[in-house]
This record gives sequence, C-alpha cells and structure tokens, in this order.
Amino acid sequence: MATIPYHKLRVLVADDFSNFRSTVNRMLLDLGVVNVDMASNSEEILELCSRKRFDVVLCDYNLGAGRNGQHVLEELRYRGFLGPRSVFILVSAEAGRNIVMSAYDSAPDDYLMKPITTRMLYNRLGRLLALKHALEPVYQALDRHDHASAMDTLIDMSLAEDRHSTAAQKMLGELFLQQGEYAKAENLYKRVLEVRELDWARLGLAKAKHLQGDFDQAGQWLNKIVEDNYLYLPAYDVLADNCLAKGDSRAAQEVVQRSVDVSPMSILRQKNLASLATRNHDPATALEAMRKVVKLGRLSCYGGEEDGREFARSLAALLEEGEVPPIAIVNEAFSSLESLAENNTELLPEQRAQLLYIQCRVRAARGERDVAGELLVQAELGVTVEDSDIDTEVDHIRALLCLGYEQKASELLERLQELYADDQEALERLDEFLDEPASEANKAIVAEVNREGIELYGQGRFSEALACFDRAVQLFPKHIGLRLNIVQALVGKLKAQPEDDEALRLCRESLETVAAGIEEDNAQYKRFLQLKNMARALHESA
Amino acid sequence: MNKADNTSKNGIDFSTVLASSVHDMKNSIGMLLSSVETILDEMKPETPEQERHFHTLHYEASRINGELIQLLTLYRMENGFLPLHIDEHFPLDVIEDQVARNQLLIDTSNIDVTVDCSPDLAWYFDTDLVGGVIHNVLVNGIRYTRQRIHIAVREEQKHLVVSIADDGDGFPDDMLVDPANRVFEASLSEGATHLGLFFASEIARLHKQGEDRGRIALMNGGALGGGEFRLILP
Repeated sequence: MATIPYHKLRVLVADDFSNFRSTVNRMLLDLGVVNVDMASNSEEILELCSRKRFDVVLCDYNLGAGRNGQHVLEELRYRGFLGPRSVFILVSAEAGRNIVMSAYDSAPDDYLMKPITTRMLYNRLGRLLALKHALEPVYQALDRHDHASAMDTLIDMSLAEDRHSTAAQKMLGELFLQQGEYAKAENLYKRVLEVRELDWARLGLAKAKHLQGDFDQAGQWLNKIVEDNYLYLPAYDVLADNCLAKGDSRAAQEVVQRSVDVSPMSILRQKNLASLATRNHDPATALEAMRKVVKLGRLSCYGGEEDGREFARSLAALLEEGEVPPIAIVNEAFSSLESLAENNTELLPEQRAQLLYIQCRVRAARGERDVAGELLVQAELGVTVEDSDIDTEVDHIRALLCLGYEQKASELLERLQELYADDQEALERLDEFLDEPASEANKAIVAEVNREGIELYGQGRFSEALACFDRAVQLFPKHIGLRLNIVQALVGKLKAQPEDDEALRLCRESLETVAAGIEEDNAQYKRFLQLKNMARALHESA
Repeated sequence: MNKADNTSKNGIDFSTVLASSVHDMKNSIGMLLSSVETILDEMKPETPEQERHFHTLHYEASRINGELIQLLTLYRMENGFLPLHIDEHFPLDVIEDQVARNQLLIDTSNIDVTVDCSPDLAWYFDTDLVGGVIHNVLVNGIRYTRQRIHIAVREEQKHLVVSIADDGDGFPDDMLVDPANRVFEASLSEGATHLGLFFASEIARLHKQGEDRGRIALMNGGALGGGEFRLILP
C-alpha cells in the first residue's frame, strides 16, 4: 500500500453532533491530518464544498432536520463539487449499505458504521486513497479526454490481479460502453462472468447488447437479473429503456413501477414513472407519482418548480377522464397549483401561461366553465403562439379541447405543425392529437408495428396481432388506420371462433370510435365501410 | 423459515412493530455505546473495580447492539428486503475492520487476538454481511476465551474457510451437531437462544456458486485447543 501523505489531506467532517465531530477530529489528528473542516448541517457542507476541494468527506447519514447525507452526496455530485479523486464516506449507526436503497443511484465510495475507531478509519482511508492514487493516471488521461490511454492504463490494472483490478474492470467496462467499444465491453464482462456470476458484470453485458440494438437478448438477460436479485435497481433502469427501445411503453411503465416499489424514495424513478404513465394515458398513476416527486423534491437537487405544474397536469388529466381521485390528493394538487399561480412574479410568460391553461382544465373539469373560459383568454393574451414554446402550446391544445373548442384546437395544431416543421421532438408531442403522426420517429413506430401486426395477421395469429395494434393505438389513439387494423384482426378472430362475445363487443366499440372521427373524404373510408359490413354479417350469424 | 401471517386481530403486523422498535433501540444503543467509548477514552479507570464495571458496560452494550442488528437483518431477509452485494473483496480487510471495531473490548479484556490471512487472498462475498458474522463470533469469543483468539483464513478445495478459534472450554457437545438449527430447540431457560449461529448460517447460505452454498461449522479442540467456529463460503 502506498504511503498516504496524511499531513497534506483536506478533510471535511460533517455531523449534527459536535461530540462526534470532535471525536473524529481527534482521530484524524492521531493519523497526522492537520487540515480538517467541520460542518453541522447540509447547508454548511454545500457551502464549504463550493469554495474548497476536499480529498475526503466524512459525512453522517443523519444531519438533523432536512436533508440527509445521501441528499448531500447527490447534490455535491450534481453541482460538480465532488471530483472523481475525492472520497466520500457515509457514516451511520446502521449496518452498511442497507440504510438506503437509493444508494444505488449515487453510491458513496464507502460506508462506515458507528461507533468508529481510529484504527477503522485508518484502515478504510488507507484503502480508498490507495485506490484513488492508483487510478490517478486514468483520471489524468480522462481530464485530457485521452480515452485511449485511459483504457490502456485500465487494461493493465485489470490484468494485474491485485487489489485494484476489480475497480479497474468496472471502470473499464463503463468506459468501453461510453465510447461505443461494445465488443470489447462484452469480452470484458464475459471474462468476469466465467469466474463468478456477478450482478454488475451481468448488467454490463446486457447493456452492451442493448446499446448494440439487440433488444430481445438484452431484455431476456435483464429480466433474469431482476428475477434473481429483485433489489438490484440499476437493472430495472436499463430494462425500462430496453422496453422503450422496443416501442413498448406500457411494459416500460411496469418495470419502472417495480423499481419504485423497491425504492420509493428515488425521485428520478418517480419522475420517470409519472412521465411514462402520462404517455400511457394512465393519469391515476402519474398523479400518485408526481405527488411523491413534489414531496421528495423539497429536499433533493432533482426537484424543481416544473414538478408542481406536472403534478397539476396529471390532476387535470385524471379529472378530465371523469375519475375522482382521493380528495386529499386533489386538494394537495389544487393548493399547490394555486400557490404556484400566486407566486408567479418570478415566472417566465410561458410558464405563467402554462399555469393558467392547467388551471383552466382543472376548473372546467370541476364544472366551472365560466372561470375556465376566463383563464383561457388570460393565458392566450399572456403569450402568442409564435413567442411560446411547445410545452405551453400542448397545454393550450388541452385547454381548448377540455372546453370543447375542437375547431380552434385543430387550427392551432395546423399552425404548430408549420411552426415546428423542423423540430422532430416538438412534432412528437403533437402526434397524440393527430390522425396521423407528424414526426418521423412516430411514423416509423406506426410503420413497424403495422408491419409486425400484419405479418402476425397473415399467419392467422390474430390475438398476437391484436396485442400489437393495441399497443400502438395507446400511443396514437386517433390513428384511424390502426383502429381499422384492430377491427380487421377481430374479424379474423371471429371468423375462426364466431362465439367470442368479448371480440364481438370490442369490434363494435372500435367501429363506433372510428365512425365518430372519420370523414367521407378520408382515404380509409371505403375500407371502413367494408369492415363495417363484414362485422355486421358476423354479428348476425353469431 | 416460513413467511407466516403475523397480522393480529387488531390488524397489526406484530413482526413489523417489533422490527421498528428494534430499529429505535438499536439507534439508542449506538449512542450509548459511543458515549461509553468517549468516557473510557477521557476518564481512565482508577481502580480495578471501576475497570471491571466499565468493561461490563461496554461489553453488554456491544452485545445488545450486535443482537439487534442480527434481528433487523433476519427481519429484512425474511421479508425479502435484504440487498445482497456480492463482489470481490479481501478477507483480510474485513477481519482487520472487525478487530479494529472491537479493539477497545479486546484491550480491556486483556485478550491476544492474532490473524493469519494472506493480504492477497481475494474472495467473493458480501462484505457487510460477512463482517457482521465475524463481529458476532468475535464478541462471543471474547466472552468465552481465556487469553487468546486466533483468526485464520485460507482457501481449501475451492472454498474460503474463515476459522475463529479460542482457548476456552469449547462448545457444549449438543451444540456441535447441526448448530444452525439449534435456535428453535433452545429454550429460554437455557439462557441462550443461539440466534447468532442461526444468523451466521443464513448469511453463509446466501452465498452460492452454482448449486453449492455457504455453511458454518463448530468444533472443539481447534487451533488453540478450545472452540472453533468456521465460516465456509463457495
């Protein structure tokens, strides 16, 4: 082990008990550390770290009321106050890693369990600083963006079979993946797995498959990982991305839901859950998740004022569906919305307009049409379509629709398609309101799902074809072609099994939905009539 | 252990109530323990009598602390909330940490602890859980040994064998057979529940390689002539 220059180390000790701070300070002095700062709460830690680079931060998990050591660690990394060379040790009275499941998200370099002794501190610091010291050439190469020599050094370290080779392997795998060296990453993880089935290596291998576009293989492995160790959170994150890459946002939501059940305190996963639920037209789940985001956001660097609006949006969406959420949640969302609207002096004009549109929707859903109408006008006067942004205009469209202004909404949609003709991401946001997607990405998804569904239909696998079209119609509820494909698959199914009442009912409902939205000049109109006749014939024979 | 339905007629899950009070107790004991250590550090005992009292205070507090941690870990294990982080670690690190953690206890008990473990020997295990097992065995050994405790680690037929031996009177004969399951038979009147052995065995079993699982063993007449505990991991 390299000799650690303790007299040069800059150490920060943070705990809300002065007793503990002075005990640790005395231990550090025994080790020869002279440069020690103290902090008693999260604000002091952040303030000190913003001014000074520490080599070691010894931080207690409990810091009194407010943020805990885990929050502080996240924020230090988020704000860039803690470089890769610094060591962060989380101290607690609890056994090791078990204290916080969300520690997977931003893991400290090590944990120390109270009571601490000088010898324990000496052992741990010695090991951690020796590792950082060994990795110094890698950090230097990465500082220069010289990935090739960083990799070379890590390869040497990995092969050395000494105390630092596991850490080097992990870092090397990540670097390979980040630099697109997928084959090399795969080799590395496979070599590790030959010796022992370690979760991090299994995940790395699945990630490499995922990044190479082999979503089926990646999905299979990832499912196996969470099945074997259902507390291993990072695997859920990759699995959710993998489902999305396959275009299955409902499966992605299910996966994120499972990870949130394991770790309800992770604000980023709650946010992801809310956004997937919104996308999947599941406002009840979105509301519950956003409620937690708002709550967790008070202490987290990942919270923001946007969360309050998103919370209210999910309330509006749920009310518009005619659902009655628990009154406590409604009041919570409503009062958070009102207080956001009252303290709006700092907001940009678009943000103020968003709030007004959301308020308009909530009021309309509560039957207060007059107030809602006034709020709409107020919002429209606040910012013009040209000066606005896509988030605000999506709120605008929803506000128009909730008041039944269909014509105005479709005029606005046309204008927005012109304004955002070069902005694919913005167009994707509009797709759910349109008969046919406007964005290339969503056109491709519909085309792919259609191809898959039609192939299944051709093989007589009607139920699987239906599931396929169903998934797509969740994303594009107004897509007439998809709806008709569903009818056609149901007709196929009914021809094989005429007595299927459920299929008969679905068939009738789908046709009614199409009938409500289709015009005679639509290219699909003839097909619609044909299918309607076929369905009627089946219905009569049944 | 089967997951039983512990919900009482009042709708309270008693094991959860217990677990949360254990959690509270453990935090209190943790504070108590660190106060005791500060006192021991700042006020050296003046008479042998005082030294003996301090020692008892410290020893009993560490024992309660260890038992409470065991209980919580078992609770989490049974309810599927015990995260397992198996990775490559160095057994010597874990042992040094546990000896350091109990240094005060070792010093005040006048016991000589020796360690025989290669610094280069690496193995695959969860360092927190295995650390907890070694801590418990060590604290227990300090109570029953006369003068010495010897910790030896070696690789034997593709297994890691951690043995902790003392020069005490050894284990009662009836404990040597199937020690892990003694927890169910031991009555309170015997004065010991052997929960620690059950805990150690469960932690060992969480470590698998293929079909092979970790286990524990007890024997008498070990390296120092007294009792010897062994943790064997694949």
